[in-house]
Formats: sequence, structure tokens, C-alpha cells
Amino acid sequence: MNRIITRRGRLLGVALASVSLLSVAAASAGEISVWVWDANFNGNAMREAAAIYTADHPDVTINVDDTASQDDIRAKLQTQLLAGSTDGLPDIVLIQDDIAQKYLQSFPGAFEPLSDKIDMSLFASYKVAAATLDGTSYSVPFDSGVTGLFYRSDYLEAAGFTAADLENITWDKLVEIGTTVKEKTGHLLLDLDLNDTGVLRMMMQSAGEWYFNEDGSLNIVDNAPLKKALETYAKFYQADLVKPVSGWAEYTGAFTSGEVAMVPVGVWITATIKANADQSGLWGVAPIPRLDMEGSVNASNQGGSSWYVLASSDNKEESVDFLKTVWGGDVDFYQKILVNQGAVGSLLSAREGAAYKESDEFFGGAPVWQNFSTWLSQIPSVDYGVFTAEVDAAIQAQLPTIIQGGDIDAALEAINSQSQQQMQ
Amino acid sequence: MIATTLRRGLVYVLLSIAAFISVFPFLWMMIGATNTSAEIIRGKVSFGSALIANATTFFTQVDAVRIFWNSGVIAVVATVLTLAISSLAGYGFEMFRSRLRERIFALLLLLLSIPFAAMMVPLFVMFSQAKLVNTFAAVILPTIASIFIIFYFRQATKAFPSELRDAAKIDGLKEWQIFLFVYLPVMRSTYAAATIIVFMSNWNNYLWPLIVLQTAENKTITLILSALTSAYTPDYGMILFGTVLATLPTLVIFFLLQRRFVEGMLGAVK
Amino acid sequence: MAQTRLDRRERINGWLFIAPALVLLGLFMVYPIVWSLWMSFQVGKGMNLSFGGFANIMRLTQDTVFQRALTNTFTFFIVQVPIMIVLALLFAVALNDATLKFRGLFRTAIFLPCVTSLIAYSTVFKSMFASDGVINQALMALHIISGPIAWFGDPFWAKIAIIIAITWRWTGYNMIFYLAALQNIDRSIYEAARIDGVPAWARFRYLTIPMLKPVILFTTVISTIGTLQLFDEVYNFTAGTGGPADSTLTLSLYIYNLTFKFMPSFGYSATVSWVIVLVVAILSFLQFLVARDRRRKP
Repeated sequence: MNRIITRRGRLLGVALASVSLLSVAAASAGEISVWVWDANFNGNAMREAAAIYTADHPDVTINVDDTASQDDIRAKLQTQLLAGSTDGLPDIVLIQDDIAQKYLQSFPGAFEPLSDKIDMSLFASYKVAAATLDGTSYSVPFDSGVTGLFYRSDYLEAAGFTAADLENITWDKLVEIGTTVKEKTGHLLLDLDLNDTGVLRMMMQSAGEWYFNEDGSLNIVDNAPLKKALETYAKFYQADLVKPVSGWAEYTGAFTSGEVAMVPVGVWITATIKANADQSGLWGVAPIPRLDMEGSVNASNQGGSSWYVLASSDNKEESVDFLKTVWGGDVDFYQKILVNQGAVGSLLSAREGAAYKESDEFFGGAPVWQNFSTWLSQIPSVDYGVFTAEVDAAIQAQLPTIIQGGDIDAALEAINSQSQQQMQ
Repeated sequence: MIATTLRRGLVYVLLSIAAFISVFPFLWMMIGATNTSAEIIRGKVSFGSALIANATTFFTQVDAVRIFWNSGVIAVVATVLTLAISSLAGYGFEMFRSRLRERIFALLLLLLSIPFAAMMVPLFVMFSQAKLVNTFAAVILPTIASIFIIFYFRQATKAFPSELRDAAKIDGLKEWQIFLFVYLPVMRSTYAAATIIVFMSNWNNYLWPLIVLQTAENKTITLILSALTSAYTPDYGMILFGTVLATLPTLVIFFLLQRRFVEGMLGAVK
Repeated sequence: MAQTRLDRRERINGWLFIAPALVLLGLFMVYPIVWSLWMSFQVGKGMNLSFGGFANIMRLTQDTVFQRALTNTFTFFIVQVPIMIVLALLFAVALNDATLKFRGLFRTAIFLPCVTSLIAYSTVFKSMFASDGVINQALMALHIISGPIAWFGDPFWAKIAIIIAITWRWTGYNMIFYLAALQNIDRSIYEAARIDGVPAWARFRYLTIPMLKPVILFTTVISTIGTLQLFDEVYNFTAGTGGPADSTLTLSLYIYNLTFKFMPSFGYSATVSWVIVLVVAILSFLQFLVARDRRRKP
């Protein structure tokens, strides 16, 4: 297959080379290029790290490119890796954890193994697991998607509850609380997007399960946490506590404008919430509710990404050293990005730092970072597998029926068969 | 009389409604460029005072001059080349018929229906082999033989009176001279329409430039705006400001060329 | 003797005119297409590809998601293209009237949607079609509906929203083509018909339409291809999911997902691409058949 591409490609390449209008400057040694998405969160965090490293290593320049969205980066990576062409690929790239296995397994050899150079036990194990294939790890974990239930403390109070009422509850209890909140304050509880299975996955992971069994086979029909999650999800809609939204802008708009009372989500939402400075003191963070079943805990994860080094990089040594030095050991750095971006890092020792112990005015003076650190260590580790996107799509196809009270078992069957079909 | 006035009135009303519906999102965009992100999310539809702030944020975050230059060069070069090559071909297919060439044309139409996503990877391989990745050439070259424009010119040429060509041939003009001196002037409005369409399509082109452009300083405004919109906390005011800016060139081109429609061919064929 | 020399010159010129385009197309389309065809027979995930014969075609027949995508794409096509073509024609004819005031303004206004960049237009439309967006507010104010429609939260309404969006965006585009063509029609023909007492609708039906036939055919073929390849709108409005419940999933979006979102099945996605080609081929052929010149040139 590859032979055919290169042979024909070369012939045509020769034809094209004669009409070369501009030439590509080769990356100079000692220049590390990094692809990230989102300038404010990921971009700034990486730039901060880069500044720290280049201060000590003036011969190295680190170029952070944040001019592409996450989908863009995925599309580019995938196209180039498939084309077998590594021209212009970066040295370091940010990849979200739940799709990491897809890259590792689809393109063996494309990423540089890091577990032999960096001690992975320094990081939260569930993050390392996401990037580990056949015993080798390929990433330096970045932000943890440890989840919390962010809520408007003023609405909660007006409904007659206190922060303690939200501690270690089940989702079913949350439905009850939400109903009272709606009665007393008129505010809906949550905003949910039918095109996004984030909350469902959060629920499932809190019980330590995922869509797949250890051997990679589908775990849908007998997946009790998934079934419970779907039932709970439907309960919110049936109790009329949900504002239906579509897309990121509407989703964030609903809680930043104060329309809905709570949002169960990964800690990386902090920056978005804090962007509304006038709401300082009106928010609180509670542990994520758990499923009403054995094995479910009040801790889960949503999102989170890690840094990968591409095997095609010309600056592997420097890249790995950079990641190891700053991301793999600089506790002060992690304090900085916590304060500046609200990024909860996955370096376990970072939790001992000063910033993590601070209380946050915005969240009513609560020691939120301590809390997140604690929950971080409780997150059940799951294997995301390579077919998460397929199963997500299958679940999304059934959601409208489920939330209208459809039969969950039938839905699970449908999800199972669609997933099987897609997994060929 | 009354019927015509009524009908006239109706036409005005319907056109006005259509115009309003067409323009409203654009207006919304411009209003948004003067508001802060928070205001936009809350649904404000009136002018605000954040225009300067949005502009400042935009120009600090984006190397606007460079990015617009990239988009501009790509769009202009691509438009000129596309018009030249594709109109020649469209004219050629229509004026000089042969069984073989008809079949080729039919084949080309078929090729038009292939989704770009299916061709992206091999195209990338080719440009990678030629060391042309991350260049404007790579963005422009695959687009200039546009089957779409060839098809358009072919159809438009059907309205080109053959007597003109016959007359020119009797006058001793060679084929290429007929094309340049008789066809081109007569088909001005067709070229005007094509220019608008091609420029716009190149300016707004997304998927291929995304794949083939690698470094920030080579990217086009379309790519940059898309990335800005996908941030965790997008600054919608700034983004809409950038979008208004990005829309201006095509708008300007449209304004300039739409007079061509007016000066059209009202009886000037004789 | 003279005849053959003329014929040969015709033939050479015929090839010369189309040569540059053909060379470029040969370079940039032939290889990718052959590759794509080859890929459509490959099965396997990621880089683990192997020849699968007709396995991908078999997979098509059992793929419920593909079937949904096919149905959706067809629905969009059947509903949206006729509406858009008719609207564009009406606008073009209305704006071709030299005595109409503000023509330039109307023309620009109706063309504006095409110029509005995809980002702006998707941000705007998503906001307008939100539960508390302008559209719902307007509809409720006019008492057409009693409660807000969850446009993108409902499988049926999401399709409607997309159709509205596409029509809004591309009507002006087609209108431009018709306007250009109308400008090329000699006014005196209309004058003569008017003097002869032919009513407006008949002038439209028997003069305008036939003379516009080539460009109408052009726009219907292009619109067919465009709608069958529909991607941008559904991708942007539904964050790439084709939701809710795959109700707005189109073939192109499915191909994109197969290539980039799911565990990559490059072979299968190539196969689905060829399905689009096949469908377009059939539909275009039909359209050409309907519009063919029944009169032979003397």
C-alpha cells in the first residue's frame, strides 16, 4: 500500500517540483514547535513552561502554535500520519486523553515512547494509563479533567440549602434538590446538549466502567453504570430541570448568564466561569454526585489532555528534556498555571504547592484546589479504548428517544448493534 | 393600471423582506463587533461601545496584516489563474465539439461530485513529495482547473452568438484572437460573476488550506477565525470584529463588479 | 481539401483550448481518484489495511448510520434545491427589471449571505436558533408558536433549521448566475413580444425560461452536487455530530467522521465517497436528459 503511494507520488512530485514557487525552510535544530489549541488555557500554559525552560537553556527556542482548533489539529495529524508524510509536523503535540489510544493504535511508531526517559509514577495513574500501550507510555500528562459540581451558591441558599447538602450526594438526590431550586428560584438546574455525551461518560467513569471490557470488546448491554447513567439522564429531562442547549456558546452562555443553577463539568471550566468577575462569591464547587449503585464514587473525569512527542521530530532530545524538566518536575510552574489558567496539573507532587492550598474568593473562600486534588486521587481509572467516538455517536442517536421516556434496554440494544457495526 | 401598481408594490414588499432576511445576520455580525463577548452571549442586539476594545484585542492576538496578506495573495492569484484556464476550457469545450471531448466533459462533471475529503490524503502526499507543503502554491494549484467554472463558462458560452465568431473568422482572425478580442468583451458579465464566485470560494476555502498550511504565519484568515471560535472561552466580540474585516474584501469585489451586470449587454451585442 | 484542413484546425484548437485545464486536472485529480478507488476496496482500521474485495459494499448495506446519512442527504436535496432554484429565479427576474428602484441595494442584500463567512454565519445562526434566540422570540411574538422550539435539540426541527440556513446562504449565489445570464439576453426580443401583446407571465414562460435553460441546468447540477456533498453547515451547527440523533448527518459528514473522528476507516470512507459520486452521476444524468436540446442545430 505504502509502496504505491510513494512510487506514484514521487513521479508526480518531480513534476510539481519544477513549479515550486516558494520553498519550505527546514526547522533549525534547537527549535521546538508545539501544536496546541486554545490560546488562553493551553497556549498560555505551554508558553509559561517554555519561558521557564528557555531561561535556563538559551540555545533552545520553543515555538507555540495555537492557531488551530482541536478538530483542526486532529484532522492535520491524521491526514499526515496516514499520508506517511511528516513534513511540518510539530515536535510536541497536545492530544486529548480519550482519543489518544486511537492515534497510538492507528499509527504505531508515530509517537516517541517516553516511559523509558521520564518517570511516569510522578503523575496521576489514570492519566498515564490513557497513553499507555503494551506497557509503554507515550505522553506527559497535562491538565486533569477532574470533575466537580459547580453551582450558584446564591440560588442554592435561596432554595433553602447549604453547601453541605451537596456533599457526597447521588444524582437522584440532585434531582430532588434541583426540583426545589426550581420551585423556589425559578432557575433550571442544568443545561444539557444532546450532541454531547460528556455528562454520561462522567457518570459511567465514576463507577469505574467504560464502554469496553478489558479485552476491548463492547460493554454496553450488561453495563449497569451506563444503564443507570442513561436512566438518571432521562430523569433530569422528565423532571423538567434541563435547559436544552446546542453547541459550546449556548452551553457556556446558560451558566455564565446565571440562567441555570449548576453545571457538572471538568475543572477546566473555571476560567470560563471566572471570566464573569461580577459573579465572584456567588459560586461554589461540590463533589460530583455519584450513581446510586455499588462501586460509584464522588469523583470522575471529563476531558483532559497530554503532551506527546512525535517520532518524526528532529528535536526529540530537547523536546523530551523540556517536558521532563518543566512538566515533569517544576512544582512552582504548576502553581503558576493553577492560578493563571485554573489548570489542575497531573503532577502528583504539585499538589503540595502553595497555590493548591489556597482558598478561592470566587468560590466563596472555599479551598477548591485542595478539593480537586483530593478528588483527583479518587478518580477511577478506565481504559478509553479506541472506539469511544463510535459508541458516543451510537448513544447520541438514541438520546432523544431516551429522554422522552423510551425503553432504556431497547436503547442499549440499539447502541450495542450500531457500535458493533461501526467497529468492524 | 391598478394591477401593475399592486404587482409592483408586492414585488417591492417581497424583495424587502428577502433583503432584510438576507442582511440581518450580517447586521448582527456588525452589531456584535461593537459589543463585548458577555453581551453577545446574553443576546444583545443593539450597538455597543466595545468596538475599539474588540479591535485592539483582535490586532494584538492576530498578526492581521500578515494573515490578510496571505488570504489576499492566495485568493487573487487563484482567481486570475482559474478564470484564465477554466474559461479557456469552457469556451473550448463549447466551441469545438467532438465526440471524444464530449465524453471527457461528461467525465469531468462526474469528477465534480467527488467529495474533497476523499482526495485530500493523496493530494497531500503529492505536495509533500514535491516539498511544497506549507506554501501558497500548494493551496492554489489544485484549485485553478476548476471543473465547476469550466462547466459555468461552457453553459454561458451557449448564449454567445456564433455569428460573431463566424464574422470574425471571415475577417481573418485566428482562434485565440477571437477568444481575446471578441469573446472576452462580450462575456464581461459572465467573467464578473465568475470573478466574484471564484474569489469568494478561495477566500473562504477551509479544508485544503487547513491540511496543507502548517505554520501560523502562512495561515489564512478563515483558518485563524475558525481556531479563535473554538477556544474554551471565545471572545465573540473580537471574533465578530475579525469576521467583519474578513468579509470586507469579498464585499468590495462584489460592489465593484456588480456594475458590470448593470452595464451588461443591453443591446450592445450589435 | 479545404474542408479537411479546416476540420483539422478545429480539432487542434479544440484540444489547445482545453489543454491547460486538462493537464492540471490530470495532475491533481487522476492520482487522488485512483488512490481513492483503490482505497475503497481496502478494509481495516488505521494503517492496518488489507484488500477486502467487496467487503465495504457489503458493509454499506448493513450500516444503519450510512442509511440515515443517505436518507438525510436526500431529504435535504429534495426539499432544499427546488425551493432555492425557484427563489433565485424569481429574485433574478424581479431584479432584472430596469425600472425597479433600489435594484443595486436589493441585489447586494440578497447576495450578502454568500459573502458572509462560514464562521460568522454559523455563529449567528446558532445564536438565532437557540432556545431563547431571535427566531423563537419572533415566532412567539407573532403567536405562531406558543413555546420555544428547541431547534437543534429536535431531530425534525434541526433539519428545518439547516434547510433554512442553506437556502438563506445560497439563494443569492444562484441568483447571480441567473442575473448574468439575463443580462446577456437581448432586450429587443422582450420589446417585440410586449408590443405583440404577449403577457408578462407568457414572456417569462416562453422566452426567459428557454433562454435561461443552460444556466438553469448549470445551477441545478451544481446545487445537486453541493447539497449532496453538504458538509459545512451540518458540521458547524451540530459540532460535527450530525445530531441530534443523526438527524442532520449527511454523507459528507459521515465520511469526515469515518476519516477523522472515529477509529479511521480510510477504505470504508472512500467507499462512501464513491456512493456520493454514483448518486450525483445518476441525478445529473437525469437532469441533462430532461434539459437536452431537442432541436438539432442545422
